[in-house]
Amino acid sequence: MEEVKAYIESGILELYVLGQLNAQEQKEVEAMASKYPEVKQEIEAIEIAMEQYALENAISPSIDLESKILEKIGVTKSPEKTESLPEPVKVVEPIKEAVIVPLNTAPYESKIKSLRIALVACIALLAVSIVALYSAHNQLGDAKDQIAALNLNNEKFTSTVNFMKQSNADLQKIIDMNNDPDWKTVKLAGTVMDPKAKMTVYWHAKGKHVMVDNSKMDLPANDQQHQYQLWAIVNGKPVDLGVFDVKADSTHILVAMKEIGSAAAFAVTLEKKGGSVSPTMNQMIVIGNVSI
Amino acid sequence: MGTTKKISLSEEELVSKLKSRDTIAVQALYDMYSGALLGVISRIILQTEVAEDLLQETFIKIWNSADSYDSSKGRLFTWMMNIARNLAIDKLRSKDFKNSGKNQDIENNVDFIDAQKEVTFNADILGIKDMVTALKPEFNDVLNMVYFKGYTHVETAEELNLPLGTVKTRIRMAIMELRKHFN
Repeated sequence: MEEVKAYIESGILELYVLGQLNAQEQKEVEAMASKYPEVKQEIEAIEIAMEQYALENAISPSIDLESKILEKIGVTKSPEKTESLPEPVKVVEPIKEAVIVPLNTAPYESKIKSLRIALVACIALLAVSIVALYSAHNQLGDAKDQIAALNLNNEKFTSTVNFMKQSNADLQKIIDMNNDPDWKTVKLAGTVMDPKAKMTVYWHAKGKHVMVDNSKMDLPANDQQHQYQLWAIVNGKPVDLGVFDVKADSTHILVAMKEIGSAAAFAVTLEKKGGSVSPTMNQMIVIGNVSI
Repeated sequence: MGTTKKISLSEEELVSKLKSRDTIAVQALYDMYSGALLGVISRIILQTEVAEDLLQETFIKIWNSADSYDSSKGRLFTWMMNIARNLAIDKLRSKDFKNSGKNQDIENNVDFIDAQKEVTFNADILGIKDMVTALKPEFNDVLNMVYFKGYTHVETAEELNLPLGTVKTRIRMAIMELRKHFN
């Protein structure tokens, strides 16, 4: 406590109140004041003494000074005060130009504030962008799915159209062949193996063309291990004309077989897959003679 | 002004209204302290008109720098008084003031002799001068210089040819006297 007393008596507190100290000395005094209540009390006592001293020795300013000051600060005096004032002396001196003093005395604070606002705006923008991006991504995914679905449909339609074109072409060809005397229609009838079986072969002797008509085919469907083989009987000998399948969903109506210039009859046998060199006679399912 | 209704607020109210930029604070401050502040300024600047201009500047500065006032570091009046004193001292030392003042034909500093001999004086403040003169002369001199004339205590020590410690002690004793007087 001796130390505090000596500090008080050094006279530094009076200099502090009188504004006689530099910034560092001021900080020291403020530190002491916050540490020792006695120092704080002493400072306050000095302040009050100086304040009372000043109040006791006040000098009243001119009567119009208050309104001048308030005007500069931007206040109009409250009406009741103006009323109670004696008639102000008209001052003819020109109004001094207002001193421009920046209202904002803490530019850093406003700068920091505006930076904060900018930061918040950026974050908000980022959030909105992410949401927009996410939704765009989802929409893009949906669009891709739709495109895939449409492509699939398109393919279906294309294959359907191709199938129908092919069918149409084949049907047209059958009509043409029926009208063309060069084309011979050979009806093959079922043998003992399957009396109900039947099929039709078109043969163009000059052009050597042979066609099998799927639409007029009535053979049991073959399995994976076997295929039907068409034979032409030329001079009593069977000649291989190729193999064909009997399926429920056959795409072509007309199937071209190997060429042959002359034939007395056509026959079909059920052979192993890929066909045989010579027909298995007991597997002959249909046979038909070429009508002259 | 005797019939004028004065606005008076507590120190806390004044500070909070000043910081929240409520203009009632300025009116209250003016009613409560304009005379005291003009008294302080008038001891440094003797011409009434210039002193009143400085009082105006003082209030504008109080209003504009209210944010910088820290109530933990001292009373509001001390802060305002130092603003007023600093403006007055700056004016006293400014070139245009020295050139314009007929009685201030000194180059670098205020002439201490002038003050002592009271070559110039303001009728309004004769009373104060008397009061301070009632202090012991050695106390009166130092207080006169640091408080009225804007000398720093270092400059005062040099001018009076006294050790710095003695100047400090005398300032303290002078204020102790004032404290006794006002208690």
